[in-house]
Amino acid sequence: MKNGFRALALVLIVALATVSVIGAQTDPDAKLGDIPDGSRSNFVHLIPLLSEPLPDKEPDQIYPDADPVLPFSTKATCGGNCHSYDQISTGWHFNAVDPNVNPGRKGQPWIYTDHTIATQIPLSHRDWPGTFKPEQIGLTPMRFLDNFGRQMPGGVIGEMVDKSSNPDESLKSEVTGKLEINCLACHSGSPYLDMGGSRGYAIQVIKRNYRWAATAACEFAYVDGTAANLPNDYDFRAPYLPAGSKLKPPVVEYQKEAFGHDDWIKFDIKLEGPKERCYFCHSNIDVNEDGTTEKWFRDEDVHLAAGLKCADCHRNGLDHDIIRGYPGESHNSKNPLTVSSSCEGCHLGKDVNRPVAGRLAAPVPKHFGIPIIHFDKLTCTSCHSGAWPKNQTVATKTARAHALGIAGARKEGDVLPHLLYPVFARGSDGKIGVFKLLWPAYWATMTDENVAPIDIDTVKSAASRVITKNAFSKTRSWPKLSEEDIVKILTNLGSDAAEGTKPVYITGGKLLSLDEGDKIKTEDSKFASAYMWPIAHDVRPAAQSLGIGSCSDCHTTNSGFIFGTVPADSPLKAIADSAVKMIDLQELSKLATKTFAWSFMFRPMFKLVSVLSSVVIIGVLAFYGLKMVGFIAKVVVNKG
Amino acid sequence: MFRSAAITCFIAVFIGIILHFIMFKPKFNDVFGKDRTMRILDPFRLVFFFVTLLFIEQKWSLVGALRKLLFLLAMLCFVILVITGFIPMIFYHHLIFGWWLMIHATFAPVFAACIAALAILWADKNRFDKNYWPWLNRALQRQPKSTDEPQEFELELKIIFWLILISSLPMILSAILGTFPFFGTDWNRNLLQIHRYSTLLLSLFAIIYLYLSVLTEMKRTAAKVH
Repeated sequence: MKNGFRALALVLIVALATVSVIGAQTDPDAKLGDIPDGSRSNFVHLIPLLSEPLPDKEPDQIYPDADPVLPFSTKATCGGNCHSYDQISTGWHFNAVDPNVNPGRKGQPWIYTDHTIATQIPLSHRDWPGTFKPEQIGLTPMRFLDNFGRQMPGGVIGEMVDKSSNPDESLKSEVTGKLEINCLACHSGSPYLDMGGSRGYAIQVIKRNYRWAATAACEFAYVDGTAANLPNDYDFRAPYLPAGSKLKPPVVEYQKEAFGHDDWIKFDIKLEGPKERCYFCHSNIDVNEDGTTEKWFRDEDVHLAAGLKCADCHRNGLDHDIIRGYPGESHNSKNPLTVSSSCEGCHLGKDVNRPVAGRLAAPVPKHFGIPIIHFDKLTCTSCHSGAWPKNQTVATKTARAHALGIAGARKEGDVLPHLLYPVFARGSDGKIGVFKLLWPAYWATMTDENVAPIDIDTVKSAASRVITKNAFSKTRSWPKLSEEDIVKILTNLGSDAAEGTKPVYITGGKLLSLDEGDKIKTEDSKFASAYMWPIAHDVRPAAQSLGIGSCSDCHTTNSGFIFGTVPADSPLKAIADSAVKMIDLQELSKLATKTFAWSFMFRPMFKLVSVLSSVVIIGVLAFYGLKMVGFIAKVVVNKG
Repeated sequence: MFRSAAITCFIAVFIGIILHFIMFKPKFNDVFGKDRTMRILDPFRLVFFFVTLLFIEQKWSLVGALRKLLFLLAMLCFVILVITGFIPMIFYHHLIFGWWLMIHATFAPVFAACIAALAILWADKNRFDKNYWPWLNRALQRQPKSTDEPQEFELELKIIFWLILISSLPMILSAILGTFPFFGTDWNRNLLQIHRYSTLLLSLFAIIYLYLSVLTEMKRTAAKVH
């Protein structure tokens, strides 16, 4: 009875709110919170928690003392009457699988790693050159989530688990639920949002508790149990397991104190989430020489240090078409602020037909003494972002590649994947920029024109008899691998290879295959190219940017910026000992660049000669000029 | 903008020179002799002849030899700088970099030094000390310092000499100041524009100067033949 009144009150309130909103707005489809009223104050979200509805039913409100206690659904709670979930789903964070979305500039891929088969391979649902589609290596939606869902905000592939090509997974999705967009992952203002903790969001995703993941992240909820092992007929609304079963289905426990009047919840929601929300998936850290990743050792991005939030530049509207912030993004995005939100947009007001420089108190750079050719040839980030260039790149980690911030994340410095940076290379825009680099390592089949990775189960089966536990690295780095091992694995893979194809191993920029005598043939191949993606953060302050010292920050014959090297990363020592020079990645002439750098030795002399010449010319002009003035004066005086 | 201005100015100057040459050129026979007939190697000889006309006559002395050498060196630098400076801009429509920039930056200080040296060595010779403007001297009731009659194009050459000297100053300073950390991007852009336009002016003056020098020499040769 009590619940009936509450439900009726809820329906009435929502209906009234909807009617008033519809009356006030021009878009009849707009939901309560779709169109903001313009207030910059924080709107308090005092709302009921709603559960995932049964098919063709309205969602039910959740009560902490109900039996069973259900997890709340973000789609129902946030997207029910207030925010258009479907429109939000078109945003950049959720649209990777949509083939109609322009992939834009290459970004960080998902990197599948498996130290037992010496594999690190870049994956993306977007058409970024150099990446592979997850299904190419046999990753079904659930297996993809097993590996990467920990640091996905839900949606995308998380809501496709029921459409898996694996029928067992489709059935299992009834038990696990879908991994809905976790609005709290970005918009929670609570310091207790548990994304990576031992009972938090990421762990729930790994346990395939998709339906419970967002709830588990909340500061007022606790989830225990695992959906992954449950039978496919398990119903979370009527949880029943045979007597004696050792399986522990997911259960929710809410803090009763969090539920107020009518059992509504006061959510701490921020339109622009704090940086910690972004950091969970977008942290970067350099690996120190001793293999540690001490964050106190590094400064934050200068923008954050200055008090900005990530969302100050990376903005979006209801469609969540967030600004990535690269030059030229306006060609790929409908977000009207893309131009004015890039480095140049804020700091220079470039390409905007009204003055916008200095937005968010961005200082307009003076670039004293920097010849303007630099702005044609280099990206802003090449001088301002990432680590100061050394003779060789350093290892780095990212949250998404190394599961940073998640309980149980491997902390060793050389854990796979091995990312190298800062790599100064020519980008797709023709400018030299700073990149992170991954040397793909994977087993593939090669035809005349293409190389396609082999699915990981096949590789594991072929490699398990060759790369044994003794060869595994304790730090989850490359296993001990010899050329003989590769011959054996390629032979194993070749026995199942289709006609016209041959197995190959890509590593460290080389393509390894078996020659006719069953010996390893190593060759350069475009299929073995490194995968690089441009970086922007962390931005250093102007006083630490390249060129602040002098031209010799870059223009010397041993500068890391131009003549630095990128070691080829591989389990094979012979390949790992080789390196690629940045000058090759910059597509510059070695002779011209070396000569140019060398010429800077004479620059001071050239300057001196030019200055002295100017002084002499000024002297001659002044001397004869004064003579002329004297002559005119004399004429005027005589006339007088 | 600059590209269009440079192309227009160069074309205008070359057309002007051609028209001027047609009007004021000495007769072929006066230069090469009456009975001269064309021979196979004559085109090469002609080129060589024109080049040697640029060897402005000097008295044989150490200073004279130095002047000649400096003039030739300045001419060589000028040609290289014009090629390396204008070709990337006019034909490829971009700022100079790479080999173009290296060659340009190497010869630029040499050219600046040559200009400075020639300024010292030639300034006195290029004073307006003859009766170039009789009407003006009459009006001022004064006698010119030298009583020698000015030669044809002498006044024009002297004026252009001073114009070259004046335009060389912003050209050198705009290039060199940009390499010091005194100016920001906006001013560096301005300096680049100053460098471009002062260089364009200097180039045009230098081309006219060389042309008039050659024409004067041709006329002098013709006078000698006569």
